[in-house]
Formats: sequence, structure tokens, C-alpha cells
Amino acid sequence: MKRKTIHTLLIVACLLISFQSICQVSTIKTTINGFIDVRSMYDKDKVSFGLGEQDLFITSELNDRFSFLGETVFKFDSSSFTDFSVSIERIVIKYNVQGNNNIIIGKIHTPLNYWNDTYHHGRVFFPTIDRPLLFQAEIIPLHTIGAGLQGHDFGKLRFGYDFFVGNGIGAGPVSDNDKHKSVTAAIHIKPVDNMRIGLSYYNDVISKGADVEGKIINWKVNQQLTSGSFAYFGKKVELLAESTFGINRTDTTGTKHTLASYVYGGYKIKDKFIPYFRVDNLAHQNGEIYFTKNNTTAIVVGMRYEINFLAVVKLEYQYTHSELNGINNKVTAQFAIGF
Amino acid sequence: MKHLIIIGLIFLHLVARAQNEPLVVITNKKGAPEEMKMTELRSIMKGERQRWKDGNKIKIALMKPSTQTGISTCKKIYDKDGDEVKKFWLGLVFQGKADAPVFFNSEAELKTFVSENEGAIGIVEIFVNTPDIKMVSIDGKREF
Repeated sequence: MKRKTIHTLLIVACLLISFQSICQVSTIKTTINGFIDVRSMYDKDKVSFGLGEQDLFITSELNDRFSFLGETVFKFDSSSFTDFSVSIERIVIKYNVQGNNNIIIGKIHTPLNYWNDTYHHGRVFFPTIDRPLLFQAEIIPLHTIGAGLQGHDFGKLRFGYDFFVGNGIGAGPVSDNDKHKSVTAAIHIKPVDNMRIGLSYYNDVISKGADVEGKIINWKVNQQLTSGSFAYFGKKVELLAESTFGINRTDTTGTKHTLASYVYGGYKIKDKFIPYFRVDNLAHQNGEIYFTKNNTTAIVVGMRYEINFLAVVKLEYQYTHSELNGINNKVTAQFAIGF
Repeated sequence: MKHLIIIGLIFLHLVARAQNEPLVVITNKKGAPEEMKMTELRSIMKGERQRWKDGNKIKIALMKPSTQTGISTCKKIYDKDGDEVKKFWLGLVFQGKADAPVFFNSEAELKTFVSENEGAIGIVEIFVNTPDIKMVSIDGKREF
């Protein structure tokens, strides 16, 4: 009899636990948002229409301490049968330890500078149509898979930090390709509203034979990147300046330096109209073998019209002068939306 | 034309009135202190501070920016218009830096949310004393 009672109590307990779990699951707050852009451009004597990326991001508060953020991009891929491929850009599991201190695990946008840490794939947030050249030239590693600590808004200066250890450059999404780990350390302050000043350091060893964005690296490279950034997005004036100094060292070529910078400025002439400019510069030292040595200067001037916070139209002209491709002029119009 | 000008003036008057509407901060009984400074309130409302001293997570409840109280909150707390406040929060959520506030159409719904969620804080126009909600004074004043 006693055994039967215990058995019944156990079943009831299990049912109660299951019911509690179902209740907890039903109160999980999950939201799905996305971004997409379409564009038209005049380049090399022809007009084209094109699709940008379709970015979906999901956020979920699992409980009081745990949260999840996933970002998936659908984009053009000429090697795909359907012309499109799916890319998992971020998978971030966050555990709030205390106050504003968090443990982060997953795939993140390497928090090396303001742009990469703020805009991700949300084109509706971009102040210009495309990312600055230092991204297109793959000077900084856009993503890192690993674990780390993150904190923000401490004290009067609203100090923030990121410390992340990851698989590093050349690693695949499910395992590392070598024993070396990348280290990212970044700090920033926000001394006044709408301003952020940041400094970061990145170190990794890229193994010989590593596949980096389809390019096989034939030398072991020790890479150090130091970045500085200043961002101010006020009521009228917008200013964003970032610079990354890269040091690549190989046994055969020694140490080679790269300096990649850009300055963006905008001025709100009316509530929704913002004329802007951006100047980019890439300067590689002779003998650089890890980055594609293509010293480039680009000037962008444009106009942004913010219909509302989820719809932005941009029209811009870009002049580019590069070592490998000479001079190029193009005009692009983009309609970016969030949903 | 004359009618349009009158409608425009009435609209401007309503917006100006909405921006000057006195507001009250209400919180759940658990978590928030009895009083705080305006700088602390702004810091909380901007997602810069995410937990109360007792460890309770801060849950922000706001009136929709399309409501009078919402317009006033956007102006007084964020110094932005409604669209800018929505963009600000979408950006923070997208960066994974904060959880979005919950927006409400009516003050009754907002008060129910605050009363039912530990650590919740909201901004309303009219405070009604209930057992689960308390009012927090800002810079020593009931209204701001």
C-alpha cells in the first residue's frame, strides 16, 4: 500500500513538473524581425537592379537570466543551384551573471569596431548603402565562434568591455582547424549621450593551409589587429571614424603593416533628410601576402531619406581608385526596410 | 486653406500639450526603490541599467509613442520623437544588448503588466494606488 502511494505521488509530482515546464515554455518571449534591401545601380555604362540580403533575426528570453539571439541571412550565391544560399551569421546564447555582466557563447560579430558591433546585417541602420572598404577587403574577421564576457554601461563614463576567445580565422562552423585560439579584447566608453569611443585588440595565428573565405593560406601568419573608433550620432551631426592597424607576420616575409580607415559624416538638414559623405583608405605595405594588397581610396557622397524607422531610401555616388582595378565610378540607389 | 491652418494649429497645440503632460513613474512592489534621480530613470529607460539592487530584472513598460503619454515620455526621457525611440530600441535588441520594452495602448493594460511582473517599471499620466503598484518619486517630486 505504502509502495503504491509513493508510486502515485511520484506520478503526480512528474505531472506537476511537466505542467510547470509547459507553463514556462508558453511564457517564453520570442520575437522575429528582419531586414531586406533592393537596389539599382549605374556602373560601367549600364543600369542594373539587384536584391540585397534578406536578414532574419530571432530574439528569445528563455528566463530571467538566459537569452538567445539568432541571425540568419539569405543571399545571392552564384555557386548555389538556386542562386541563393543561407548563412548563419550569429547564434548568441547570453547568460546574465550580475548587473550588466554577461557570459556569451556562440557565433558573434567580432566586436572589434563600432560598425561590426552595431549594424551587423541591418541595412536599414547603415548610414551609407554598403559597408566601408575595410570590411569588403576583409581586414577584420567579421565573425568569431567561441565564448567570452561582455559588460556595458558602468560608471559615469558608461564603460563597456568585450573579451572573447574563439576558434579564429580559418576555422569551420563546427570545429577548429588548428590549436590556436583567437583573442578579442575591446573596451569602450560613452562619455555623453549618442557618443561612443572604443579601442580593441585582436590576435590570432592562421595556420598554413587554412581556407580563409575560399583563399588557401600558404604560410603560417601571426596576426595582430588594433582598432580605434569614434562615433557620434547627434540630433543634427553624425560622425563615425574608425581605423584598424594590422600586423601580419610570417617567417618568410617578416612583419608587414596595413592601415585601413574610414571617416563618415552626415548632417540632418531636415527631420528625415541626411546628406552624407564617407572617405575610405586602405594602405598595405609592400610585400603584404595575407591581405590582398590593393591600396585603395574611395569617396562616397549621398543622401539618406528616412521615411520612418523601418524604411530608408539612399542615393549615393562612389568614386574608387584602387591599385588593381584603377578608377571606378558608380551611382547606387537603395531601398532598405525592416519588418 | 483657413480650415487647414486651424487644424494644423490645433494639432501643434495637442502635440505641445502632450509633451508637457506631467508624468508619473510606477513600479512593481518588488525591485525598485522608493525614489530615484532623473539621471537614474533615464539610464534605466535606455537599457543601460538592467537589474535592480535586489537582483530583480528590470522590465520596462511604456505607452505606445502614438499615445499622448507616449509622446510625452519620448520627449522627456529620450529627447527623441516616437520613431527615433522605436529605432533606438530596435537597434539595442538587434545588437543583443537589451530586451525590448513592452508597449501598451492603454494605461490600464500597462498598470496590470507592472502589477503582475516583479521588477517592472512604467510611466503613466495618472497614478491610482493599488496593492501591487507603488509610485516612485523622481528628484523628490511625484511628477516630472
